[in-house]
Amino acid sequence: MKKSEPMSESYYYILLCLAKGPNHGYGIMQMTEKLSGGEVKIGSGTMYGATSNMMKKGWIRETMSGEAGLERRRLYQLTPEGRTALRAEIARLRRMLDNAEEV
Amino acid sequence: MPRQYRTSFRAYAAWNYQKELEDLNRASDQGWQLVRGGCFHSRFVKNPAIRYRYQLDYGPIEDMGRYIETFREQGWEYINSTFNGWHYFRKLYDPSLPEEEYEIFTDRESFHEMNNRWARLALIIGCLLGLCALFFAVRVLIPAPNLPRLIQVLTLLAESLVLIRGALIMRNPDEVRRRKESGLFLALFFAVVFLGAGSSIALESLRPDYYTEQGATSVEAPIHDNRWMVFQVTYPDRYYLDLDIEAEKPLTFAVLDGDGTPVYEVTETDFHEKDLALRLSPGSYSMSMSCESGFHLTTRIE
Repeated sequence: MKKSEPMSESYYYILLCLAKGPNHGYGIMQMTEKLSGGEVKIGSGTMYGATSNMMKKGWIRETMSGEAGLERRRLYQLTPEGRTALRAEIARLRRMLDNAEEV
Repeated sequence: MPRQYRTSFRAYAAWNYQKELEDLNRASDQGWQLVRGGCFHSRFVKNPAIRYRYQLDYGPIEDMGRYIETFREQGWEYINSTFNGWHYFRKLYDPSLPEEEYEIFTDRESFHEMNNRWARLALIIGCLLGLCALFFAVRVLIPAPNLPRLIQVLTLLAESLVLIRGALIMRNPDEVRRRKESGLFLALFFAVVFLGAGSSIALESLRPDYYTEQGATSVEAPIHDNRWMVFQVTYPDRYYLDLDIEAEKPLTFAVLDGDGTPVYEVTETDFHEKDLALRLSPGSYSMSMSCESGFHLTTRIE
């Protein structure tokens, strides 16, 4: 397999926000801001483009929230392929940090 | 009080869309709110009570429902899309919020991706127009120079260069953000496009287009140099002849110039040809036929 390319910050955070379970776009945006202490924001255009591309890659898929009585919402869910891609990216980032410490 | 509307006919080059956003924001601050954005005209309604900030996105949208929802989640109201794939959004403006709240592309990659969608298309069209210019120049203009063709070639070339230049600007995110071109450049560009289209239409309308069909099962006496059609050529160019000959004995068909000299001649019993290119200079021409037997002949010149 070809070595995977570095992910953009937005892709990385979107996958990270879905690691513990499905979420909607706004939830991902808020969680990203919270996780990064306000450093990373995901605007609507970036969000739509990133989710579209990652759905094409098969890393995430769309589901609907099934809670009765609540408004049904569009949710994004991590696929096994997406989890693998996220793990690979985390390993890549970890290696880079480790290398920094070795030098 | 009746609602007050205003239509603006200001157009912006694609690579200058940041200027359009700036103007939309300023109009909103002055109480004019965009209700419909367009490439050539935009519509505004007067409402001094609110202020909006605008954003534009470009590209084909696969899932419009998800698209609009993704924007709505962050407070963006979808206004409309233009026929060529630009999407207008607005968000209520709160001066106490940081400017980043009004960005829709928050990383360099996605901003570049959006600009690049347009740049890629412009580059393809620009190159095609350039190839057209080259084709017309080599095949038509150089063999038979004339002013309308020269204008056609030059305007095609100009359009090609402007589009390629636009594509190169759009490929550079910093340049897109920085660029604020005056409308004069675009007005000039439109003038060139109209000039080119005008010269192409003029060229087409000046071309002869004649179709004739004749025949006889037998002829009593040999037909000799029967000239039956006169047509005018107003500018030097390549003209195309379609010819179908079916005759029992060889039939001679010729296109003669004003002096009666053949510019094209063929003697055959069975001959079918389409789009034979003839290089003709201005003047009057006629078609001529000689034959001794039954024949069927169709010709078309354009």
